Amino acid sequence: MKKVLALILAFCMIFALTACGSKTPASTESAAPSGGTEITLWTYPIGNWGDEKTVKALTDAFTAETGIKVTVEYLTYKDGDDKVNTAITAKKTPDLVMEGPERLVSNWGANGHMVDISDLFDDTDKKEINAAALAACFNADGKAYEYPLVMTAHCMAVNYNAFVEAGADQYINKETHTWTTEQFLKAVDALYAKYGDTVGAVFCNGQGGDQGTRALVNNLYGGTFTNAEHTAYTWDDAKNIKALKTLYDQNGIAYDASIVGGDEIANFYNGIFKMAFCWNIAQQLNPNSAGNGAGKTANGDEIVFMAFPSEDGTAKLQGGIWGFGIFDNGDAAKIEASKKFIKYMCDSAKTVDAVRASNFFAARSAAEGTDLSKVWADNEVMNEYTKLMPMLGDYYQVTTNWATARTAWWNMLQKVGASDGSEAAITAAVNEFCGQANGK
Amino acid sequence: MKQTMSPRLRRRENISGYLFLLPSLVFFLGFVVYPMVSCIYLSFTDANMDANTPTKWIWFANYVELWQDEVFLKGLWNTIIIVLVSVPVVCIFSLWVASAIHKMKEGPLSFFRIVFYLPVITGSVAVTVVWKWMYNNYYGIFNYLLKGVGVIDKNINWLGDPKYALACIILILLTTSVGQPIVLYVSALSNVDQSLVEAAEVDGATNTQVFWKIRWPQIMPTTLYILVITTINSFQCFALIQLLTSGGPNYATETIMYYIYYTAFKLYRFGYGNAMGVVLAIFIAILSAIQFRMAKEK
Amino acid sequence: MTKNNGGSKAYRIICVVVLIALAILFLFPLYWILTGSLKTPNAISSPIPQWWPQEFTLRNFEVLFSKRSAPLFEIGSLVGPTVPGAIRWLINTVFMAVMAMLLTCLTASMAGYALAKKRFTGRGIVFSLIVAAMALPKQVILIPLIREMSSLGMYDNIWAVILPTVGWPFGVFLMKQFAEGIPGEMLEAARIDGANELRTFTTVVYPMIKPGVGALAIFTFINSWNDYFLQLIMLTSSSNLTISLGIATMQAENSTDYGLIMAGAALAAVPIIVVFLIFQKYFTKGITMGAVKG
Repeated sequence: MKKVLALILAFCMIFALTACGSKTPASTESAAPSGGTEITLWTYPIGNWGDEKTVKALTDAFTAETGIKVTVEYLTYKDGDDKVNTAITAKKTPDLVMEGPERLVSNWGANGHMVDISDLFDDTDKKEINAAALAACFNADGKAYEYPLVMTAHCMAVNYNAFVEAGADQYINKETHTWTTEQFLKAVDALYAKYGDTVGAVFCNGQGGDQGTRALVNNLYGGTFTNAEHTAYTWDDAKNIKALKTLYDQNGIAYDASIVGGDEIANFYNGIFKMAFCWNIAQQLNPNSAGNGAGKTANGDEIVFMAFPSEDGTAKLQGGIWGFGIFDNGDAAKIEASKKFIKYMCDSAKTVDAVRASNFFAARSAAEGTDLSKVWADNEVMNEYTKLMPMLGDYYQVTTNWATARTAWWNMLQKVGASDGSEAAITAAVNEFCGQANGK
Repeated sequence: MKQTMSPRLRRRENISGYLFLLPSLVFFLGFVVYPMVSCIYLSFTDANMDANTPTKWIWFANYVELWQDEVFLKGLWNTIIIVLVSVPVVCIFSLWVASAIHKMKEGPLSFFRIVFYLPVITGSVAVTVVWKWMYNNYYGIFNYLLKGVGVIDKNINWLGDPKYALACIILILLTTSVGQPIVLYVSALSNVDQSLVEAAEVDGATNTQVFWKIRWPQIMPTTLYILVITTINSFQCFALIQLLTSGGPNYATETIMYYIYYTAFKLYRFGYGNAMGVVLAIFIAILSAIQFRMAKEK
Repeated sequence: MTKNNGGSKAYRIICVVVLIALAILFLFPLYWILTGSLKTPNAISSPIPQWWPQEFTLRNFEVLFSKRSAPLFEIGSLVGPTVPGAIRWLINTVFMAVMAMLLTCLTASMAGYALAKKRFTGRGIVFSLIVAAMALPKQVILIPLIREMSSLGMYDNIWAVILPTVGWPFGVFLMKQFAEGIPGEMLEAARIDGANELRTFTTVVYPMIKPGVGALAIFTFINSWNDYFLQLIMLTSSSNLTISLGIATMQAENSTDYGLIMAGAALAAVPIIVVFLIFQKYFTKGITMGAVKG
């Protein structure tokens, strides 16, 4: 026993002595070979940009070409924001971060932690980049805090086999991927009659997948989330309240405060839910953990992606835009290296690979002569998905106070779910949290 | 204790006392007292994550706001409930288990001791994730069992329902809190003077009388110690909240400890979060002082 | 309350039955972790639980080990071979817990002795501070602590977790209680023999408070192993995580892949449980000692 203890002690002592010396490990600064800078990238799980092997292949290629070493950390939607915010508090942010304008521009950018990269956009870029994506990357003062790589429209998905079994397939148009509010409610009724359990869940535990619940509520009766100028939140209008109440009253739809978007997807894969509101093309292409191929649930049911239901059947889908931003660490060399990284991933002959890794559409038509509109030409699912792209609605996630608004939205859904479901209670909850988002 | 000391001895006592205290004091002052002081300082400012606007000194505005903040009050309330429920339940439960096992043979005795201690050892995160699975709304074991015996007829969303969420959290907290008190009570009970017990029994005292008149006073110091450690423990249930409910649903499981974290990293209001911290610290210091007084008196 | 007269037999049987039921309840989560880590995803999410895995799979451990990688060690510029992240996390955790334990025992036993036996000026104030801070949740000083560690250059370094753990004053309090029991005459005798302070401490004081040091070592080891909060706010890069943090991250990422999460939980729990079972006697002795004196 004593020997074991002594061994452990000795081991720890050695480790301790040396760990002190490694307080500034090779991965942060200095020690790098001359000319080579080292940068860190924190990425959210955007398609396969959350997968170590895929990302390593991309960054290795970049290092081989430029000599700049990239250390990558992988964040999750559930705790990624907290991690970045902790790092900001500690003034130890990464050099690069990969996410959407809702975080980069309207949160960290607005709070003065990001580097203005408007100099990366020349006139050709501005022509090539999708107008909506371009606009979202700039703030009102003309400063850019994000360089877009890919984009998509968020949608929902249904378990087609279950729909057929419950006789609900008559309510969806598999060709156009659209349905009306009435059809949606009938389908839920049919599924509830058949399976008698939660058919779909308005997940509201927190962070991640908020676009799904927003789009669902907004589309049902044509409500809006913000005004057109992106200066105020308007989700307290009567149409949204009606939608929230409809969902509350609907058998088979539950406000579930114990799950987040990721849980919802998992429950959908497992066949527990018959529809998922947190969906997009990357999910559709993602071969799930059961390993039976993309577009299938764990027991092999067919997954069909759908636009959100609306009264006239033409939804306004929420856009997702992802790209890179640079945190202001005050080190010019690192900022320069980070800009090189952005150029390399988003605007070079290699952009094709970076786009493919994400499972989304390129945010631009061409990059340095490479045509990006054909990246997915050989992919049937992707081609099918382009049907949804014209339904892309307003990208309002750059409205002021966005981080607060997003948190308030979750709290509101929880409060609605916990209420008695009366119109008065729902209205009160909506007013309270919409007011919070508007800074009242 | 010496009544008088020569100046030389006094100096020697001072110097050696401080030298022995020094290593510990460095850590204590550096990583507890200093942050606490800057916490108090920050609580009077509007410090936040915005790098564009300078931090302003706003006196007591944060403290005034606290008492109008419903979420804070709810968090305070929940924190008090957690302490008020878990402390007595842990004490009573562990006393009962200990008195039931302390006369067993060595084998079963150490078996039970280990079993009740295991959740402490397993670690808060590992325990939390497995309970999360057991509480699951759709395929959790609780719903299956309770449906099986007919207590409920529909799945209950344990962590998603404001009615149950806090109770569920407290239940996990209890299983991870009783291990140590049981071990303590077992040894305290075995140390009770057996001759007193026998004498009382000869005099015809009932078991209840023996317990309250003889055993209880003798295990009193242990009880006080258990009160202290259980209180500390109940204030530490951060992992449970952060991993299971994030304070929801509808603030049903919000505690001050989690709300401080939430205020800092979701609302970005450092100053406000620190004001909460100061209030909590005062609250706990008073509680510790009371418990310590009690311990001193006994 | 035990009874030893005849009429209590029924009560005793009931006690044993209830105890066994409770033991099952307390053992079940651990059982569920271990079996869950070997179940297939389908079995995990089946509404009818599989009490015993019908089909064993190592898939969860494979995913766990292939998901993240990190160098085995980084000592100065010497970087070890790349291994599964989980292995590095275990090493980090052991290192953290052992260092916190050693430093706490060393500093706290010295300070406890000083507070108990030395009549120096300001002793009362120091002791009151310690008592007041003893139960302080670390959440209170969240922001200042992060900023402090960052300016010390220790943010995202395992030492940022170790140092505040050592600073927590519970250990000093515990050791003071033990040191109170040292008879003054023994110290007096050592002094008359001409022993200097350090010698007195190592030859007279330390042997007296040894059981207390054992208890404190155990507490500190378990507490720092399980102190999720400090780890959460101080560590970010995947090569610096601890095993608890690693599972929490996996939980955030694949929140319903319970098989994978259970594999992580098993990896975190099994080593410390094995240690516990080996040192079980000392554990209980240490804890008990701590209380009798305290």
